[in-house]
Amino acid sequence: MGRVAIQGVTKRFGDVTAVDHLTLEVADQEFLVLLGPSGCGKSTALRMIAGLDEPTEGVIEIGARVVNDVEAKDRDVAMVFQSYALYPHMSVRRNIEFPLRSRRVDRDERQQLVEEAAGMLGLDTLLDRKPAQLSGGQRQRVALARAIVRRPQVFLMDEPLSNLDAKLRVQTRAELVELHRRVTTTVIYVTHDQVEAMTMGDRIAILNDGLLQQVGPPQDVYERPTNLFVARFIGNPPMNTVTGKVVRADGGRHAVAVPGGEIAVKPEIGKALDRLALAEVVAGIRPEHLELGADGPIEATVSVVESLGHERHVFCRLTDGQPVIVRQQAAEAAPAEQTPARLTFDDANLHLFDPTTERRVEA
Amino acid sequence: MTPTTTPPTTAPVAEVPARRRRFSRRVREASLGYALVLPSLLVFGTFIFYPFFKNFYLGLYRNPPFPNLPRKWVGFEQYSDILTSSDFYNSVKVTVLFALYTVPVGIALGLFLAMLAHQRLRGIAIYRTIFSSSIATSVAVASVIFGTLMNPRVGLLPWLGLDPQPPILQNPTWALVAVSVTTVWQNLGLSFILMSSGLQSIPDDLLEAAEVDGAGPWSRFRSVTLPLLSPTIFFAVVVGTIFAFQSFGQIDLLTEGGPLDRTNVLTYAIFTELRERNDPGAAAVLAIALFGITLLLTVIQMRVLERRVFYAR
Repeated sequence: MGRVAIQGVTKRFGDVTAVDHLTLEVADQEFLVLLGPSGCGKSTALRMIAGLDEPTEGVIEIGARVVNDVEAKDRDVAMVFQSYALYPHMSVRRNIEFPLRSRRVDRDERQQLVEEAAGMLGLDTLLDRKPAQLSGGQRQRVALARAIVRRPQVFLMDEPLSNLDAKLRVQTRAELVELHRRVTTTVIYVTHDQVEAMTMGDRIAILNDGLLQQVGPPQDVYERPTNLFVARFIGNPPMNTVTGKVVRADGGRHAVAVPGGEIAVKPEIGKALDRLALAEVVAGIRPEHLELGADGPIEATVSVVESLGHERHVFCRLTDGQPVIVRQQAAEAAPAEQTPARLTFDDANLHLFDPTTERRVEA
Repeated sequence: MTPTTTPPTTAPVAEVPARRRRFSRRVREASLGYALVLPSLLVFGTFIFYPFFKNFYLGLYRNPPFPNLPRKWVGFEQYSDILTSSDFYNSVKVTVLFALYTVPVGIALGLFLAMLAHQRLRGIAIYRTIFSSSIATSVAVASVIFGTLMNPRVGLLPWLGLDPQPPILQNPTWALVAVSVTTVWQNLGLSFILMSSGLQSIPDDLLEAAEVDGAGPWSRFRSVTLPLLSPTIFFAVVVGTIFAFQSFGQIDLLTEGGPLDRTNVLTYAIFTELRERNDPGAAAVLAIALFGITLLLTVIQMRVLERRVFYAR
């Protein structure tokens, strides 16, 4: 059973708290992505699971046992490092074989397992080469083969794709997901790349400053970010956020007054605003949910239009100069730069956040 | 781009008359090269090459037992006499033993201390300083320290109530070991620094990967640290052997080649021939022999040991 449970784990380095009371449960065979900006504590969390760093506080369980006092070598996990950490003096075969040798697997079985792993990753013809004679992508696959060869309970991956070029990264991403389906082992995958997180994870756990922000399936996190940090971190281009005053529009409905117009709020959200007694609120809307039209509640000016071929990013400015990005499909009509426009959207796609706690305002 | 109204004018090419040079380009470049090498060639020539060949030449003359008599040309007779003598054989044996006692132990101890100091612990820098401090001592200082420690009248032994007979440095069995211990201690600082720098060049990732891969401390050391340290160790072996073959100070200060020539290494034998027997011819032959042996050993080490060295690219 490759279940991993982290309970109230804290790691301090002197005065710096790298991981702050992290509690997280990873189910057997799940692909969990730890996502966050650099320095958020995600790698430290992974290293603690691997047994390379000791938690200052808290309990880590792998399978059914508490592993706090179990050495890395006895935890039955495998790790893929960002640098791949291949043993430069050993051939590819010896590299893949190393975990088996360490566990005194006998020779015939070793050979069979190495060939199986190498075959799975297309390394059959490279077994006698040294790492220095391999390309970046091949090295990365050797690192993966070394991890899967002994069928550990859990795979830990620390930014394994970040040293690959953009094209190879996209390809390897899909291969990793396929590999996970085939080996059906729990994977904990650390990355700062939200695209990797969105595309690969069964669930994403987002960390910032050592604190867990949100855990959930990618689509849930995308659609219902629990706070402003997650809202702004997930999505590219990022979510537009504008601070506005809470006002009563005609008919007593709540609205948010932002520069250049008012945003109407659904009645059930309005009640929540009353309950929280918020005078100000941060309104967030994703670029793809904004539309440019002749009429709409918010007045803006189109400043720059960027075309990406399949889509367009329209950079607008509100009346006070705040930037807002609108994402358009290529098929839509492109607006002219430096012309006034009005912004409109479906209020189902509006996110509201408390400006002080930065938490999502829920109905 | 808007087309320019004026057509681009070509600058008139000045007709440079080809000057006739006396020497071709190749000859000129080569002469510049030799001119640049000349200063160091002069220095090396004066202090290395000339003495080297002069030494060889000196060996062809036999010096009379009394000063002021003319020396006598004997050709290679002196070479064959000395190189087949039992004294020479003894000196080579002592020198080789001395290298065997000092080099592997020195490297192993240096590596051991370097592994100890290669930890992220508070205050570890103090230990690094202590471990490397013997590099700041000279051979003379080391010899005086150990000479005192092993002195039967003062220092450690009387304090411990020990009075070995004969005294360690006069004991034919232990004298060479005692000199070797002194040498190992004196070279330990250098060995420690070499091994530490070697250890630092091994990425932490590799050792952590090995740990996660299930390797215990010994296996990590043997399978990862040692192979990646092999270039450093190889360097230390070659340089350490050359140093050992050239050691002189500690022998001179501690045992003067005795007892019973048991510490009479080649360098000390050369010194004795030259200064005590006033025989530059015999000393020259021994010096040439020392050169030959050192060269041979280095070549063998390069051929044999280096095959086992892994150089990261």
